[in-house]
Amino acid sequence: MKQHKETKTNYFLPVKTIAVMAILLSGIALMSSAFNQKSNFTDNEPILDKAAKDSVESVKAFMTVYKVLMSPRCMNCHPSGDIPLQGDDSHLHAMFPKRGKEGKGVYAMKCSNCHQPQNTPGLNTPPGHPDWHLPPADMKMVFQGKTAGQLAKQLMDPKQNGHKTKEQLIEHADDGLVLAAWNPGEGRTLPPMSHAEFKNAWITWIEKGAYAPKGK
Amino acid sequence: MENSKTNYSRRSFLKSSALAGGGLMISFSAFSKFGFADKINKAGLPEQWYELTGYIKITPDNIIKIFNPNPEFGQNVMTSLPMIIAEELEVDWQKVIIEMGPHDNVKLGPQFSGGSNSVRMYWKPLREAGAAARFMLMAAAAQTWKVPVEEVAGKAGMLYHEKSGKSGTYGEFASKASGIPIPKEIKLKEPRDFKIVRSSQKNVEGLKIVTGKPLFGLDYKQEGMLIAMIEHPPAFGMKLKSFDGSQTLKMPGIKDVFSLKLYEDGFEQGGFDTRTFNELLVVVGNTTWEVMNGRKKLIAEWEPIRETKETINVFRVGKQEVTIPAGLESSESQYQKMQKRAKEPATVLRKDGDPETAFKNAAQIIERTYNAPFLAHNCLEPINFFAHVTDDKALLVGPHQAPGWIEPTVSKILNLPADKIEIQMTRMGGGFGRRSYGHYLTEAALISKKVKAPVKLIYTREDDMTYGIYRPMYTATYRAALDANKNLIAFHVKGGGIPEHPIHANRFPAGAVDNYLAEGWEIPSNITIGAFRAPRSNFNAAAEQSFLDEIAEAMGKDPIDFRLELLKRAKENPVGKNNDYDADRYAGVLKLVREKSGWNDPENKKYSRGVAAYFCHNSYAAHVVDMVTKNGQPYVERVFSAVDCGIVVNPDAATNMVQGAVVDGIGNAFYGGLTHKDGVALQNNFHSYRMIRMHEAPKKIEVHFVQNDIDPTGIGEPPFPPVFGAVANALYKSTGKRFYEQPFSKELNNMKRAF
Amino acid sequence: MITLNINKKDYDVEVDPNMPLLWVLRDFVGLVGTKYGCGVAQCGACVVHLNGEAVRSCVTKASRAVGQKVVTIEGLSENNNHPLQEAWQEVDVPQCGYCHSGQLMSAAVLLRENPDPSDQDIDDAMAGNICRCGTYLRIRKAIHLAAEMQRKGS
Repeated sequence: MKQHKETKTNYFLPVKTIAVMAILLSGIALMSSAFNQKSNFTDNEPILDKAAKDSVESVKAFMTVYKVLMSPRCMNCHPSGDIPLQGDDSHLHAMFPKRGKEGKGVYAMKCSNCHQPQNTPGLNTPPGHPDWHLPPADMKMVFQGKTAGQLAKQLMDPKQNGHKTKEQLIEHADDGLVLAAWNPGEGRTLPPMSHAEFKNAWITWIEKGAYAPKGK
Repeated sequence: MENSKTNYSRRSFLKSSALAGGGLMISFSAFSKFGFADKINKAGLPEQWYELTGYIKITPDNIIKIFNPNPEFGQNVMTSLPMIIAEELEVDWQKVIIEMGPHDNVKLGPQFSGGSNSVRMYWKPLREAGAAARFMLMAAAAQTWKVPVEEVAGKAGMLYHEKSGKSGTYGEFASKASGIPIPKEIKLKEPRDFKIVRSSQKNVEGLKIVTGKPLFGLDYKQEGMLIAMIEHPPAFGMKLKSFDGSQTLKMPGIKDVFSLKLYEDGFEQGGFDTRTFNELLVVVGNTTWEVMNGRKKLIAEWEPIRETKETINVFRVGKQEVTIPAGLESSESQYQKMQKRAKEPATVLRKDGDPETAFKNAAQIIERTYNAPFLAHNCLEPINFFAHVTDDKALLVGPHQAPGWIEPTVSKILNLPADKIEIQMTRMGGGFGRRSYGHYLTEAALISKKVKAPVKLIYTREDDMTYGIYRPMYTATYRAALDANKNLIAFHVKGGGIPEHPIHANRFPAGAVDNYLAEGWEIPSNITIGAFRAPRSNFNAAAEQSFLDEIAEAMGKDPIDFRLELLKRAKENPVGKNNDYDADRYAGVLKLVREKSGWNDPENKKYSRGVAAYFCHNSYAAHVVDMVTKNGQPYVERVFSAVDCGIVVNPDAATNMVQGAVVDGIGNAFYGGLTHKDGVALQNNFHSYRMIRMHEAPKKIEVHFVQNDIDPTGIGEPPFPPVFGAVANALYKSTGKRFYEQPFSKELNNMKRAF
Repeated sequence: MITLNINKKDYDVEVDPNMPLLWVLRDFVGLVGTKYGCGVAQCGACVVHLNGEAVRSCVTKASRAVGQKVVTIEGLSENNNHPLQEAWQEVDVPQCGYCHSGQLMSAAVLLRENPDPSDQDIDDAMAGNICRCGTYLRIRKAIHLAAEMQRKGS
């Protein structure tokens, strides 16, 4: 089973991630001066107002965004394998529910069998949302294990971001499941900043040219 | 029932059977209400039942009913024990009706499920009961037909007299037979003539289980029944100081909030009266969910306990004063305490030869220490019990492994004579030893008495898991001395535990090594413990069987050959006395598993194979586990098991038990563990207490029984302990590393992080 | 008061709509085949079908079931003859028996969506149901047998 092989890396990912983050953060100053970066939007995309481009601001904003996306509340449902993650340590979800074609689970193990329209009260109970799911099998939108550069490029690539345009991406900041990260149910930590701060950074990143931080 | 309930003896069994003439179903009406046997309802309840022995009832229209005496917790007694009766009674198994018997230690024997004893202790009495009843029916027919009883044959519920061609049903002669005295000498069948025993029969409650019929204690209901829950202290070492129930009482459906004392000061406990908390904060309400919600509004203040001394009359040991220390315990500090204590002198439990000198003269000493955590039983049906206590009697219904052990306690606590206390045994959603401890039954009784209503006490999963009565935390250091020729010249085990040590001093390899020393030590704790599927053995088999593997390797021997050599020695020239195993039978399971697993076959080289064998609860079990790597994790793909438990009454059900024990063993070896911080149990539900699941269970578990005609012994526990050892030994083959700390997944995860 | 359709029958129950379906079934409707095991959607003992999906009734509010179709173990088949129920008995799966209502309800969804499941499919579908007695091998075998029975139309 291929998907399992990929999830095998889970155990040492946090360490790796932290290391990558440290390198990236220390590299921001360097990158900021590098104006030769390419915007993630191709030139023939008319939607981008070239005047607003600012790779330094954009990259800076993305590093803020990245912190949120890599927090367990977001990353846990954007796993590298086909099994979601759980908890603040992002361990493999107990009972190994599988993604399934539509990202809604399989057979008796569909997300909504446990994840209700709302959070279930109490500790250690399933958080809820009417549309609880993983990204579908043909558009996995993996966050886990991605560097900031990789993730930024992936987010702006319609072939990898769910065919989203810039406007749709901006709107996505207010998507119900995205918002659910800030209402995670009793006992779970919140993403590292408020939703407003996240949204602000998200839009700044996109508006300023959706630059990807340099590096791998 | 006016019989005074005394301990079971063969004598009382025979006597009461003879006294019990006719009997009506009425005395068990509460059972039929509980929803037993659609079969009966379809057949229509017969008016007259003749009770031939405590176990058998036959109506004039030949409906034959057999009572299972022992509580069913998944070990198949509801099917297997009646099979034993049916065999000797000579009835058509498909036509008999099986029911759970009432709690009646006089008529139905000891009635406890534990120690893998059910079949073992009932084998003879049930055969005798069946045979006696058949003889009485034959005698009744002989009298009626005026022929010698020797010429009458009983078969498939019919009586025949060949010469005259006369025949009749058992039912026709049931009334007359019930007046015939029980024969003094009862001839039992030869094992070769068994037709029902030794041939697999389906679970008699299978249909009810798969259609969701009310079978379990949690399903039991009575008109006007209230629900009760107990808010336990948040940590071991704490007790209730004060509470304010006013907010709870405002919640919908809540009837009452109060505290009560389980045992009065100075109460002399029986060995199975273990309880963790004595001051109970109780919430009573109409329905389960309302009580759950009401509980959340309780305002309670807790305080540390002081050190106490309690008098406990320990099973098979006698009266003891036990110290319950104060303090909030943590796993980490407990572990350190154990390490420290292990270095201090301990109680010598057995000594053969001169181990000190042997170790001094050894060319090589191998020393290894093994550790294991507390384990929670986690029966899938959480602890619960129904009680309806009035001024003059008590009805108690629910899951319990040993009603006869808890009845005297309830009698003392309620101040009611035993014959005013009726305990009904429901099918249990697992037991594993946990339900030998009846504190919850007593709690339910006291709550019912207080609120003057029928009450069901329910523990939530969290209550159940954090209450205590765990498998103890264990450690053991094993030492082996080899001489220059790599012969094993001495063996030393020093084991300790919180609060009980694991050592069975007279077990293998005692008896097989000239110089042998077994020692034990204990550290008291306020974390309560109890029997857990093969107590002590479930740790020893992991430690000792891993250690033997290491010795074999050091000696350059095949692990099975090495064990067989030791067993040969134990048989031919045993060291010391009281070796409590039969070396031949022990070797037998090893040889059988070696053969069936193709131990030396080249095609099995692709597996990381581990072997272990163990003797406990009078039976012998060996496993070969075949490990592969699946998704980067060690996975037990196949298991071969060999078991010697004598005659196997219901082979397919016994196979199921062994397979289950293997799965349970793998699960607990990899994931089991209950840890504490400042007295708080860190695992309180299955999100943090990992249970083995479908994808982690082997693809194949092939079970083989040694075929012999020895009277049956237990099967529930013996196959469980050696699984741990076999898994540890396979892990070594798989990872190149020995595993000394349970659960093994902890170390496996650390290994991964080290990449 | 809410009305619930359970096993093709309407029940009017006087309950808080936030009450988990599990407790409505067990304490109010009197259908106790659906079991309580953990209360936090970990063990699967409480699985029932909500419009055909294997929801965990311990975390499913009664309100979610209003106007929907609930099927419990008691309603899995008309005559106790769902292929899974028959296969379960044929293979003699249960030990204590407590988890099997949930196991069967989960397996029923698997078989409906995949009439010929592989071992891997069974793992994927059934990993949410804990069997403390460890009857997993027999559950697997019984699901294969039921699939075969279903295909043969017996």
